[in-house]
Amino acid sequence: MNAPEKKIGAPMNRVDGRQKVTGAAKYSAEYELPNMAYAVLVGSTVTKGRLSSIDTKDAERAPGVLAVITHLNAPKAPGVKPTGKDPSQPQTVGSALQVFMDDKIRFNDQPIAVVVANTLERARFAARLVRAQYAKEKHQTNLEANKANAFLPTQAKKNPKSPAADYQRGEVDAYKTGALKLEAEYVIPTEVHHPMELQAITAHWEAPDRLTLYDKTQGTMATRRDFARQWGLPEENVKVIATYVGGAFGNALHSWPHESAAIIAAKVVNRPVKLMLTREQMFTMVGYRPHTWQKIGMSATADGKITAITHESIGQTSTYEEFVEATLGQTKMMYQSPNLTTRYRLAALDVGSPIWMRGPGEATGAFALESAMDEMAFLLNIDPMEFRLRNYTDQDPEKNRPWSSKFLKECYQAGAQRVGWNKRQLKPGSLRDGEWFIGYGMGVGTFGAHRGSSKASAQLLPDGTVLLQSAVTDIGPGTGTAMTQIAADTLGLPPEKIRFEWGNSDFAQAPTQGGSAIVNTVGPAVQEVCMALKDKLRELAATSNGAFATAKKEDVSFADNHLTLAGNSTARATYADLVRQAGGKAVTVESKPSGEGQKFSMYSFSVHFAEVRVHELTGEVRVSKLISCADAGTIINEKTAGNQMKGGAVGGIGMALMEHAIIDDRFGRYVTKDLADYHVPVHADSPAIEVFFVNQPDPYVNQLGTKGIGEIATIGVAPAIANAVFNATGKRVRELPITPDKLV
Amino acid sequence: MATNHEPDVPANHNENRRTFLKQSSLLTALALVPGPVVSAAEAKLDERVAEAIEQIPLSLKVNGKKLKLKVEPRTTLLDLLRENLHLTGTKKGCDYGQCGACTVHVDGQRVNSCLSFAVMHDGQEITTIEGLAEGDKLHPMQEAFVKHDGFQCGYCTPGQIMSAVACVREGHAGSETEIREYMSGNICRCGAYSNIVAAIQDVKSGGQKV
Amino acid sequence: MNQFQYVRPTKPQAAIDAVAKDANARFIAGGTNLVDLMKRGVMTPQKLVDINRLDFRKIERQNNALRIGALALNSTVADDKQVRERQPLLALALNAGASPQLRNMATVGGNMLQRTRCAYFYDVTMPCNKRQPGTGCGALEGVNRMHAIFGFSDKCIAVHPSDMSVALVALDATVQVSGPKGNRSIPFADFHRLPGDTPEKDTNLEPGELITAVDVPDNPFTKHVHYQKVRERASYAFALLSVAAALDIDNGGTIKAARLAMGGVAHKPWRLTAAEQVLVGKPATEESFRQAATVAMQGAKAFKYNEYKLRLGPNAIVQALKTAAAA
Repeated sequence: MNAPEKKIGAPMNRVDGRQKVTGAAKYSAEYELPNMAYAVLVGSTVTKGRLSSIDTKDAERAPGVLAVITHLNAPKAPGVKPTGKDPSQPQTVGSALQVFMDDKIRFNDQPIAVVVANTLERARFAARLVRAQYAKEKHQTNLEANKANAFLPTQAKKNPKSPAADYQRGEVDAYKTGALKLEAEYVIPTEVHHPMELQAITAHWEAPDRLTLYDKTQGTMATRRDFARQWGLPEENVKVIATYVGGAFGNALHSWPHESAAIIAAKVVNRPVKLMLTREQMFTMVGYRPHTWQKIGMSATADGKITAITHESIGQTSTYEEFVEATLGQTKMMYQSPNLTTRYRLAALDVGSPIWMRGPGEATGAFALESAMDEMAFLLNIDPMEFRLRNYTDQDPEKNRPWSSKFLKECYQAGAQRVGWNKRQLKPGSLRDGEWFIGYGMGVGTFGAHRGSSKASAQLLPDGTVLLQSAVTDIGPGTGTAMTQIAADTLGLPPEKIRFEWGNSDFAQAPTQGGSAIVNTVGPAVQEVCMALKDKLRELAATSNGAFATAKKEDVSFADNHLTLAGNSTARATYADLVRQAGGKAVTVESKPSGEGQKFSMYSFSVHFAEVRVHELTGEVRVSKLISCADAGTIINEKTAGNQMKGGAVGGIGMALMEHAIIDDRFGRYVTKDLADYHVPVHADSPAIEVFFVNQPDPYVNQLGTKGIGEIATIGVAPAIANAVFNATGKRVRELPITPDKLV
Repeated sequence: MATNHEPDVPANHNENRRTFLKQSSLLTALALVPGPVVSAAEAKLDERVAEAIEQIPLSLKVNGKKLKLKVEPRTTLLDLLRENLHLTGTKKGCDYGQCGACTVHVDGQRVNSCLSFAVMHDGQEITTIEGLAEGDKLHPMQEAFVKHDGFQCGYCTPGQIMSAVACVREGHAGSETEIREYMSGNICRCGAYSNIVAAIQDVKSGGQKV
Repeated sequence: MNQFQYVRPTKPQAAIDAVAKDANARFIAGGTNLVDLMKRGVMTPQKLVDINRLDFRKIERQNNALRIGALALNSTVADDKQVRERQPLLALALNAGASPQLRNMATVGGNMLQRTRCAYFYDVTMPCNKRQPGTGCGALEGVNRMHAIFGFSDKCIAVHPSDMSVALVALDATVQVSGPKGNRSIPFADFHRLPGDTPEKDTNLEPGELITAVDVPDNPFTKHVHYQKVRERASYAFALLSVAAALDIDNGGTIKAARLAMGGVAHKPWRLTAAEQVLVGKPATEESFRQAATVAMQGAKAFKYNEYKLRLGPNAIVQALKTAAAA
């Protein structure tokens, strides 16, 4: 028998493709449960203060209403600590907003009541009948006006080694004495994830102490942990199902008030409760990329060697949680600058908490850094790619250790050739096509190649299918497909014989989907459990056939409903027998990083090249070419990975050209409330995006050689476009988005 | 809501709750004291009364199946499909006609099902993503979306596919630029646009009947 | 959303009566704007009169004009052969609006009656004289980057969002209406209002009046036309501002007649008659277009965040005229 075709690397169709194209895939608001009730949240109309009274009588009397729940009558979950008083939260100082716990208003549209009715229409109507009176206090929602109050994050105060702490190598602010220097401020507005699926949850108390949640979450286990703790339940009494997640981009990395509200509502009415946010509520209740001010000072020698960089940043957070992200990470390690200073600060405003949004802080930081690189190259009259090459790092200048792998130069080359970089002129405004100025720009991205620990379970079924299970979610990258390919190769089975199930907290432990770490982490677990399964099956087979006892692992293979041994046609064990012998039990294996990480700096790298057209009269910008090149280690599936890269690039187009959530500070309320006011790219905004993968395995991140794609797909795209706009027009836009008003 | 077998009542006979009570022969006994009964209904004292007066008859053909329904006039076509008929393939992405996730065909034309009331479609034929395949055989556009990986999370996908089928049928899939313009009513936040366009071009050039 | 009474008359008079006699009744056609506003509580009609079964869908030529039924769908009109041949500017404007799905729902009459997209109008917790007279204009001192530069008042600085209407005002269309007092015709330029002290009134329609058709008179603008829409993304977005331009150019390159109107700059589609007059008799050159643009922008005034419209406006006019001339 020929060796089965390798599945790793193959552009296999998605295992859940059919479900998705037929409408059969069920998302969290789409499960049919008997006696379903509908919940609608009522939000505060003021930004700061206290609820002085809340009148729910009319709402309670409306047809079909089952309950109106506020802080006055909400059952208190036993494990809930008041807002801002739970320092045990792992990622942030302070704690998430605890809904209906007190009368305090901390941001506009904060949930103050939840109305539950027997139909959606009735719940929506009754929600409008809830009337609140407030004791208003003066609020602050403007970052610019509050920069002076910015502070060092608590985690950095406590730990000087924290990535958020001030960083220094060489002289402090050495750029100031540099011969050739630039100093520039960059602003990223608040951007909102806006996955197409509105945040939704169906909460079902199956018994007074057993809770099932069909929830939009990136981490079934993290969500289970949060709500088990809130309700004082053993974790195994809470089940979280998130088989299909309609995009998230980071906004389901946190447990939010609406989830608690639905669980409380289900408790009160003793029925399953479905709650789906409105698009307006997606701006206020489930996080966003924080409005961030940055300043870069840079100096260089005339021959293009950077001598110093200072990068400062102030990001907005809420008054009750310190949201910290790695805005300054790329600056510390991307270029060889002997003097480097970073300062990261937060400004607490009367807004909801931010949360990581695709490419998170790194994308924000890269906009400033990669714009500044372009500005300096222009100042030096050097090609910006050449300038980057002159400052290329062959080892990590931050940690002074080698890279586990780095093929960024290969990416530069591939991208430059594909975009037609040789057409680029050093002098802006040199190229035109009729009324359109043409410009070229590049932007570099990087993100840590993280690997956590994970388990996976595997089980041979009597029909010869191997069932694998993991609590991991697949929010769109194709996790299920990649894992199927890894399993198929490891077991030597065709992918049709692998059934990978995901998105259920009852399955084998896996981390939250985020930080580009899932294939790095769950991939090895899947591979190892498949090897363990094979080994286990060989052992079982050995009990009846001695040939298996001494066989080498690699000689064991699956064929025709049998376990077989290479070179021994009599060594055969039927699946049915093996399954019977195994008692139908799953094999579970835990997989952990090797510890090699201590010796190497592990990063994925990307570079994006943009060709833009800017209309001479209207200032409209069109991205006509976008080439995204990635050194992301081994590519498990060229098709889905390529798609993910293209998607990140489209996100970068949004960031560069249109995304901007605006608060009217007089009211503390968003005036961009929906997808007509808050623009995200449509089909017509996207060119045919070209993707290039170096596809070289990383020897140290894991045995698969993967490094992660999700973040680097976006990081660096916005500055590539901004730099191209400068090259086209000579106009440097340092505050995103680059809308026509900034160019006319 | 299940289908019901009551005789059709012309929709324009539906009146508001108070006048309906006065006129309805079904509720003659109640009509003797319309005021108090209405407030009783509003006060939720009798759920059945409230439902009887708030719902009106509606005939629809959905994915080839004739349905006789009773709905509140304020129920949108989208909510009817998702919440009442459990056809959850049609997605709610914004509820304001700004994303296209809810795209269905009404009498063969693509529309946003979130922006019209179900009662306005009395007598019309609705096709949703669940009605596109013929049994197990996927529609060519569905096949092409799988082949070209025209999605990631899958949430906008039913709307994209319904729109893509209409785009080809309308004759608006003549070039890449035209496809991008005529698909711009369907947002994909995952950003699978390049692949969606490739799928549509494949179907268009494949010459299969769509 | 509140419960409402729903009626579906089959005769125009029944529809008119149903709305004329009930201050809380509204016509519904495509629903693309009204349903949206009802979901957000901005409009709360107690009765909806569904006019979709009325026979106002035809597009036909009569009395040297194209009569377009009020219930003709935006997509139908944009694809109609007569419209494309005789009134191509209208087809361009229609296709620049919304999305294919919405154009399959929205009607010609409904498109004219779109409410403003001003964020303060859309949020029932914010001040807005249009939504709730006497509460003030939230946009005046607020985030007003989308707002008016012409014809505003201190009560309202909102703009009208329709693209189609910009073309119709340029093309001297007439609105046919039926009402409790009979039929009348309203010149398109007089159909929409400026806000003045009563921004709650978008149009000069009387209560119960129903749009039955729009007449677009025959004209020589069958070739040199362009609808320039500047927006923040390439499609499916409301205009920062837009320009409808139509030229009749003789063989020597001299402009015989011109039509010019802007969208996204005022409470109504903004006809630029003075600028049109500048163009007549001039050569179809960028210089002439720039002169017209300068005249067009006279009297424009900006607020804190829409000052860019004073620069974008003339540029867009020049671009629209250049493209029209080259067409």
